Amino acid sequence: MNSFQRPIGEDDLHAYVDGFLDAERRRVVERYLADHPEAAARIAGWQRAGVALREAVAWKAQEPVPAELSVVRLVEARLSRRTARWQPAAAVFLAVAVGAGSGWFARGPGMPRGVDAVSMEAAIAYRVFATDRMHPVEFDAANRVELVAWATRRLGRAVAPPDLSKSGFHLIGGRLIATPQGPGCMFLYGNAQGNRITVFVRPMHKIDVNAPMRPVQAGGTTGFAWARDGLGVSLVASTPLPGLQKLSDQVRDAMSPET
Amino acid sequence: MSLLSRLEDSIPSLRRYAWTLLRDPAEADDLVQDCLVRALDRLGTVRSEAELRPWLFAILHNLHVSRWRRQRRQRQVAVADADADVAIPASQPAGAEIRDVLRGIAALPEDQRQIVVLVAVEGLAYAEVAAILGIPVGTVMSRLSRARDRLRAFAEGHERPALRRVK
Repeated sequence: MNSFQRPIGEDDLHAYVDGFLDAERRRVVERYLADHPEAAARIAGWQRAGVALREAVAWKAQEPVPAELSVVRLVEARLSRRTARWQPAAAVFLAVAVGAGSGWFARGPGMPRGVDAVSMEAAIAYRVFATDRMHPVEFDAANRVELVAWATRRLGRAVAPPDLSKSGFHLIGGRLIATPQGPGCMFLYGNAQGNRITVFVRPMHKIDVNAPMRPVQAGGTTGFAWARDGLGVSLVASTPLPGLQKLSDQVRDAMSPET
Repeated sequence: MSLLSRLEDSIPSLRRYAWTLLRDPAEADDLVQDCLVRALDRLGTVRSEAELRPWLFAILHNLHVSRWRRQRRQRQVAVADADADVAIPASQPAGAEIRDVLRGIAALPEDQRQIVVLVAVEGLAYAEVAAILGIPVGTVMSRLSRARDRLRAFAEGHERPALRRVK
């Protein structure tokens, strides 16, 4: 009620146009404009010009964002740059760590190694998490950006869930998986028939840095596993779905580093 | 974590602002890309989601200024500031008032153009605009008045840039 004490300034007129005034001050400005037709015409002109300006540039913000500006891609590029820089040191460290660790984990004669280990880890992850209807993933598909950034950071190399929508599988989400060789990541997909498949990835250390794709069966699951450029991948399903190999080919091609 | 999503949500408006600064789609996207790369490096310094948007515009602005200085040094030519030729894609419907206001925005000095776009299009608060541009709020307000009066004159058809007239 005391706002009469403060005279109307240009700042008020701008704040009126931009919607920054509280209700009381707004009424004061409106009364002022009712008494001052010249000021009212000026404000109406500002408003009209503002509307026209917003319309004139709106199309630019409605354009699809080019791929070069996708945050996922920039995060990947950034992390792969960083990984490249640290790779020699990291390789030495991992060799030491794996050498020390293998005494523990690879003692038993039946302990799988290389891609066999990857498919085993993928099968366990599938049985524990993919069958969970309540909370199978830590990041759902709506948070793909976070999922990619997080998985990439934890795995120390760029990983992202491939797009399998052409084959009818949509991304449900993903989660981090603990393995004897360090963190892995499981991406979970579902199709309209309610089938679930997973794409499990983790870095390979020394053994099977590159390995051709082969069918694998473990722990009641079936699928394919391979390694390329130091990334082990296993695609897992609960039943031998038709087209699983084609799907694996698709995943392999999608996950190859772009050149 | 959701800062990354917010960052992604801001890209369309960063592209729009960069376009009004440069009016060249490729250069504008280059600027936005630099801005995003830098922002990803420093995202950890952002304390709240409310800070993110003005922070991004400040990064974009600073990169724009340093690029502009570098270009000027290298080429020893001033980048044309007020070329009245604003490209609006042919696919976009544009009424007379929109074309007038586009001419108006192109005719403004860059410091006024930045302010009126940040306020009227991007909806930033005056204090945020002052922080982005590194100038006092009072300066923002006086430039905003000049910019709005000028745009109004263009939109109402009182002012026309020197159009080549064919007789």
